[in-house]
Amino acid sequence: MTQATGSGAIGGGQVEVAGVTKRFGETVAVKELSLTIPHGSYCCLLGPSGCGKTTILRMIAGHENPTTGDVRIGGRSVVGLPQVERGTAMMFQSYALFPHRSVLDNVAFALKVRGIGLPARHNQARELLAKVQLEKFANRLPAELSGGQQQRVALARALITNPRVLLLDEPLSALDEYLRLRMRGELRRVQKELGITFVHVTHTQLEAIAVADMVVVMAQGRIEQAASARDIFVAPRNAYVARFVGGQNVLSGTVESTMNGMAAVASDKGARFAFPVGEIRPARGAKLYGSIRRDRIGVEKMLPGAKPAGGLNTTVGEVHTLENQGSYVKVTIDLDNGEEFVAHVPDDTFFRNPLDIGDKVEARWSASDVKLLDDGPIAFEAAAVEARAASAD
Amino acid sequence: MTSIEHAASLLEEAPPAENTGERASWLQVAPMVAVLALFFGLPMLVVLVVSFFDFSRTDIIPAFIFDNYVDLFTREVTLRLYASSIKFALIVWAITLLLGFNIAYFLVFHVRGLLFQIGLFLLCTVPFLTSNIIRMISWIPFLGRNGIFNQALQGAGVTSQPLEFLLFSDFAVVVAYVHLFTLFMVVPIFNSMARIDKSLLEAARDAGAGRFRTVFEIVLPLSRTGIALGSIFVITLVMGDSFVVRTMSGGQSASVVSALQNEVAALQYPPAAASAVIMVIIVTLMVAGILRLVDVRKELAR
Repeated sequence: MTQATGSGAIGGGQVEVAGVTKRFGETVAVKELSLTIPHGSYCCLLGPSGCGKTTILRMIAGHENPTTGDVRIGGRSVVGLPQVERGTAMMFQSYALFPHRSVLDNVAFALKVRGIGLPARHNQARELLAKVQLEKFANRLPAELSGGQQQRVALARALITNPRVLLLDEPLSALDEYLRLRMRGELRRVQKELGITFVHVTHTQLEAIAVADMVVVMAQGRIEQAASARDIFVAPRNAYVARFVGGQNVLSGTVESTMNGMAAVASDKGARFAFPVGEIRPARGAKLYGSIRRDRIGVEKMLPGAKPAGGLNTTVGEVHTLENQGSYVKVTIDLDNGEEFVAHVPDDTFFRNPLDIGDKVEARWSASDVKLLDDGPIAFEAAAVEARAASAD
Repeated sequence: MTSIEHAASLLEEAPPAENTGERASWLQVAPMVAVLALFFGLPMLVVLVVSFFDFSRTDIIPAFIFDNYVDLFTREVTLRLYASSIKFALIVWAITLLLGFNIAYFLVFHVRGLLFQIGLFLLCTVPFLTSNIIRMISWIPFLGRNGIFNQALQGAGVTSQPLEFLLFSDFAVVVAYVHLFTLFMVVPIFNSMARIDKSLLEAARDAGAGRFRTVFEIVLPLSRTGIALGSIFVITLVMGDSFVVRTMSGGQSASVVSALQNEVAALQYPPAAASAVIMVIIVTLMVAGILRLVDVRKELAR
């Protein structure tokens, strides 16, 4: 390999964002944010638009500088360094391919800037194009390619300098559904093959969970949860993450009593739930939040005129929408208090005794499937438990 | 109606529908065609016809002779006039291109906020609220022997003698041209630059390109439509000018058109017409040359 491409390997691809705040005039895009992305991992920054995820990406890339705080790559501070010295490469949302240059010249551009001769840089670019199965299109202009092909050109162009960190800004948002699903698998494969760090910004929950080792859920310039993709899905930390990532219903209520690590909680509407609370002993009357996975809920039709059984861990409502998703049916239930409650019922269970829109149903689940969320006074309690544990050491 | 009949009727209807569409578009361009034919095509035709006429001291005599053209091509002064006009065109083109590109670049890439951008852009057009002549003539008291500029230089002790080359010289002509025509370069370049996706610049920087590299590799090629259009404006304006040359050079320099005007003043219409025809051909060739380099239509459709 040439000297220009060799430099990427120096230092690891660990990305550290340390206490970074970014202000644009009056607005604060990122607030006191700290995050460590391990070398060689695939990290997704997930959040709604305006949550600061793209700003973080751009600060890692060097297209923005943090107002305060530090960004380190491979242990070395890169604030103020030009893009070339960071060992990063960025793939832009709209791909940002140079419209007046051939696909080959687009891919070879970074080498041209580094002063590598035409035959050498074209050879390298051709190799990369072959990797993304586009060698046939080398002499076309970007506008003559389809969206998916353009995206692969953008990927090849970003990879030509052998970066240690690849930054992807909503890389799949411009593709249609079919290509999006294919490309996200492809991105994951490329990342595994190269073993470099990928930081991928997206607002699509399933995309993040599908590709990432590590998912960082953000809101309003802060991190709500940074954890493995699986944990983000099955063990959201708070109601925001549970609601945003989806796959969960959020339950809330005030504590009536606590026994053997289970709190009995009553919702505003009088439904009663059991929450596993572990070490914490929430005060009577404290408000607790819990989550229950959509696919851990059983739905049963109530006979007309029947009274709800009113047992623990049930809730009653009317079927609002039904969506057949193939392997399961998504049942949205309008609760009496106007909230929505979603159950994913396996297809065979559902079609044994199908429901109809407008049916009165009772949803039930097991208390052990409920996860306590870090909201309300429990956040302080949890902090106190941690503090106690720490002082006991 | 059965579905087959229905389909058949659709087939019958389709071609006329297309015809009316075509007719409608012809109707739409008709006013423009009429205006151009009446005010451009017809006069050009007259000029062309007259260029083959004979003339005496007082009359133009219908004929079909090539004397006017032969005269034009054999006179040594013709070459000098064209050389002078082309020299001015090239100098002014180079300066306005440099200025126009930089002003447009500043407006598009350095000015943040659309409102501020539009505000500054409008500021560029403010001089156009006064007439060309006034704008040009106001250079005379500024650049004159005892003008503001010379007085300021002498007052500041930079020179002891007034600078003579400032007014009634080629320098003054170029200054006036640049002043009058830079905006014609700024507007089209601004227009095509504004359509460059900003992320392309970031992508170039990401690839390691410095500022100048980015300008030369990305911004310049993507602004070429604007540059071509601006060049056409500036070059045709300078080539077709007589007034600025005459006024600002104090009669020392001449252009093709000012010579042509002299002939008109002397009622020598046929040679003036021949001169005009050649001028139109040469300028058309220059424009065609620019359009050959840059496919403006394709770029505009982009």
